[in-house]
Amino acid sequence: MSALVNSTLFRRVSKIPPSYYLLVALLVILFAARPQMLNANVLGVFVRQVVPLGILVLGQLLVMRVKSIDLSGGGVILLINYCISSGIFPGASLGFYIVLALAIGLAVGLFNGVMVAKRRVSAVIVTLALSIVLVGFVQYLSSGKPPGDVPKIFAELFNTRFIGLPSPVLFWIALTALMALLLSQTVFGRFVAAVGESMPAAHFSGVPVERTVILAHTLAGIMTAIAALVQTASIAVGSVRVGLDLPILSVAATILGGVVFGRGEGGVWGPFFGVLCFAFLFVVMTMFGVGDAGKLVAQGLIILFAAIFYGLRAGK
Amino acid sequence: MSHPIEMAGISKAFGGSVALRDVSLALTPGTVHALMGENGAGKSTLMKILAGVHQPDSGEIRRAGRTVSFANPRAALEAGISTVFQELSLLPNMTIAENMFLGREPLGRFGGIGRRRMREETKGALARLGLTLDPDTLVSDLSIAERQFVEIAHGIDADADVFILDEPTAALNAADVDVLNRHIRALREAGKAIVYISHRMDEIFAICDVVTVLKDGQLVGTRPLTEMTPASLIAMMVGRELEALFPERGEGEGAAALAVSGLRLHADSKPFSFTVKKGEIVGFAGLEGQGQQKALRALVGQFSPAEGTVSRRGNTIRLPVPEESGVRRWQALGGAFVPEDRKDEGLFLDHSVGQNIVAALHAARPALKAAKRYSAVIAETMRRLNIKASGQSATVGALSGGNQQKVLLGRYLATDADLLLIEEPTRGVDVGAKAEIYRILRDFAKAGGAVLVLSRETLELIGLCDRLYVIHGNTIVSEMRAQEATEHGILDAALSA
Repeated sequence: MSALVNSTLFRRVSKIPPSYYLLVALLVILFAARPQMLNANVLGVFVRQVVPLGILVLGQLLVMRVKSIDLSGGGVILLINYCISSGIFPGASLGFYIVLALAIGLAVGLFNGVMVAKRRVSAVIVTLALSIVLVGFVQYLSSGKPPGDVPKIFAELFNTRFIGLPSPVLFWIALTALMALLLSQTVFGRFVAAVGESMPAAHFSGVPVERTVILAHTLAGIMTAIAALVQTASIAVGSVRVGLDLPILSVAATILGGVVFGRGEGGVWGPFFGVLCFAFLFVVMTMFGVGDAGKLVAQGLIILFAAIFYGLRAGK
Repeated sequence: MSHPIEMAGISKAFGGSVALRDVSLALTPGTVHALMGENGAGKSTLMKILAGVHQPDSGEIRRAGRTVSFANPRAALEAGISTVFQELSLLPNMTIAENMFLGREPLGRFGGIGRRRMREETKGALARLGLTLDPDTLVSDLSIAERQFVEIAHGIDADADVFILDEPTAALNAADVDVLNRHIRALREAGKAIVYISHRMDEIFAICDVVTVLKDGQLVGTRPLTEMTPASLIAMMVGRELEALFPERGEGEGAAALAVSGLRLHADSKPFSFTVKKGEIVGFAGLEGQGQQKALRALVGQFSPAEGTVSRRGNTIRLPVPEESGVRRWQALGGAFVPEDRKDEGLFLDHSVGQNIVAALHAARPALKAAKRYSAVIAETMRRLNIKASGQSATVGALSGGNQQKVLLGRYLATDADLLLIEEPTRGVDVGAKAEIYRILRDFAKAGGAVLVLSRETLELIGLCDRLYVIHGNTIVSEMRAQEATEHGILDAALSA
C-alpha cells in the first residue's frame, strides 16, 4: 500500500480531484445506457436542479480553505424561503426580497465568523446550532404548515434561457468564475491560502487571521442567501423542509472537488465538478430504479470515500 | 563501592545534531550528584536517557553491574529510577491523588479504584513535604509552585533508589527550597542516589556532594564539591575557543531605533528599560527561560506584560498590545519579528519559496486589492540571501534547515523594515549557514537597520552582537559590550544577581 502511495504516478494522479474521475465515469454510464439523454436540453434541466447546491458550495469551499466549516445553510435557506413564500411582506418587490435575503445571509455569516474567529467556538457546533435555531423559528412562525406560494416572478426568471442554456446555470458559472478570480487574483486570496496552510505562520507574517476567517464566513453567508433565492425560485412554493440536506451535500461536493480542511488544490472548479457529479449521480440512479433510500446510502459513501482518498495523502 | 547505576560511553544524536558524545556517569548510594553545564550542554538529554524517555545511539546503562535498557519511562521506574522533569507533567484535569497514582491505581474492595487509599497515601506523601493540600484538589486549581511540589512529591515518593531531579526549584521560593532540601537530605541518609540539576550555585553547594560538568554534549569532568568553588565550577562550564564565524562588528552609534522603558513582565517582577540604536545588533543573554523571550514577544503582543512603554519612530506605544493585531502594528511601524520555530510558527511548509517570501508584503496591503506578483522581489531576495532552491516555486518544506531559515529571514527583509526582532537566528542550521546568517544580519545593520536578537547560544550572542543585556529573573541584571563579554562573565552576572 505504501509503495503505491509513494509512487510518482499515484501522486500525480491523486493531484486531480476525485470529482473529475467520477464525472467522467457517470457520463460514460449515461452514454452507454441512455445515449439519447446526452443533449444540451436534457442535461441543462438536470444541471439546473443542482444550481442552489453549486452556489452553496462556493461559500463552503471558501470557509473550508480557512479550516472552518459552515453547516448553517439549512436554516438560512428555510428562513429566506419562508420570508418570500409566506406573504408576511405583502406586495414586496423582487428587489426587496433580494436585499432582505442578502441581509439575512450577511448577518448569519458575520455571526458565524465572529464566533469562530474571535470567540474560538467550534465551527461545526456554532453553525449547526444556529441552523437548528432558525429551523425551529420558521416552524414556530408557520405552525408547521407549509407557507403559501412564491411570487410568480421568481419562477419566470428561473425558467428563462440564454443562448440555449438555462439562466440559473449560466448565473452559477458566472459566480464560480468570480470566486475563482477572487481567490487567485486578490490579496484576500493569498490570505486564505496562508491561513489554510498555517495559522501561526500567517499570524507572524502579519496576515490578519481573524479578519480573514470572518470575511470568509461572511461571504459564505451571502452565497447561502443567493442559493436560497435560487432554491426558492426552483420549487416555486414555500416549504418547511426545503434545503435541509444541502449543507452536508455541499461539504461532500467540496471534498470531492479536492478542497479539504486547509488545502485548496481543487481550486474552485474541482468542487464545481463535484456538484455536477451529484446532478448526474441522481439521474443515473433514478435510471436504474434506485429509490431515495439507496440514494442516501450512495451520498454517504461518496462523502466517506472522498475523505479516505484525501486522507491517504494528508498523512504523508 | 558498588554503583547502583552506571552510564558508560553514552552517545545520542537528534537528526544531524549531536546532543551527547561518549558521556559516562556513575552514581553512588547516599550521595547527591550535581549535573551542571550551559544551556544545550546535554544534561536533560542524558537524564532522559536514564529515565527511558530517549534511547542512546551507543553506550550502555548498567544497573547493579548488569546491562539494562529502558524502552520507556515505565521500564525505568520499575527498575527503581524515579524522575522529576523540568517540564511539568501533571494532568491538569485530574485531582492531585489521581495524578499521584496515575497508571498504578490501587484496587478497592469491589475491584474498582481504591479512592480512599489513594487519598490517604497522597495526603501522607504531601505531609512529608510539609504540604497541607487536599488530595481531591484539581491540579488546574494549584499555583505553579504547588504543582511543582506535587510533582516532586510524586517523584520522590516512588519506591526507587535512584532519583533524578531536573531543575526542581525553578518555580519555588526560598522557604519551599528549604523543605525540599530537607527531604533530599533524608533520601541521602536512606542511602538513595540522587541526581540534581540546577542553575542555582548556592543550592548546588548547599546540598550536593559530587558534581559532573557537561559541555557541548561531552564530559568535562566529575569532582567532589569540597574541592570546588563557585568560580572554579563556572570556569569548568565555559572555556572553549571562539569560532571564526562572525563578521566584523559595527559602529552602532546612531539615533535610537527602539527605546523601551519601564517594562514589567509580571506584576511582581522588577521593571527594566533598554534601547537599540540604528546600525547596532543587541542581544538578550542569560540562562534559558529567564524572560528574554517574554521581553521580545511583549513588543509584538505575543506576551502580555504587566506594563511598559515603547517608543518607536516618534510613536509611543503602551504595553501590553493586543495579541491579534500586535504583529501587524509592529510591521506598520517598520518593524519585523522573526519567530523562533520556523516549522510551526514561521514557514508555510507546503507552499513555495516565493509564496513564503512575499507573505509579509501581501499582508501589508488591503485584502480586496489585486495581488501583486513580486517576481523581481523574490529573485532579488533569493540572490541576496543566497537561498539554494531549484527555483521560486520549489516547496519550502523540502529545503535544508539553513535555506529554510534564510527564506524565513528573507520574508522580513523583503519588507522595508529597519528594525528586526529575531529569536534563535540559527537554530538547527549547519555551520556554513550560520556564518551566512551572521553576515546577512550584519549587512542589515550596516545599512542602518537595528537588530535585537536572543539566542540560547551565548557564544553566538558574544560573536554576533555589539551590546548585550543579561536577563535573569524577568529583569535586566547587567549590560555589557559584547566585545568585552565572556561566557564566564555572563554566567557570573546572571547567577550572582
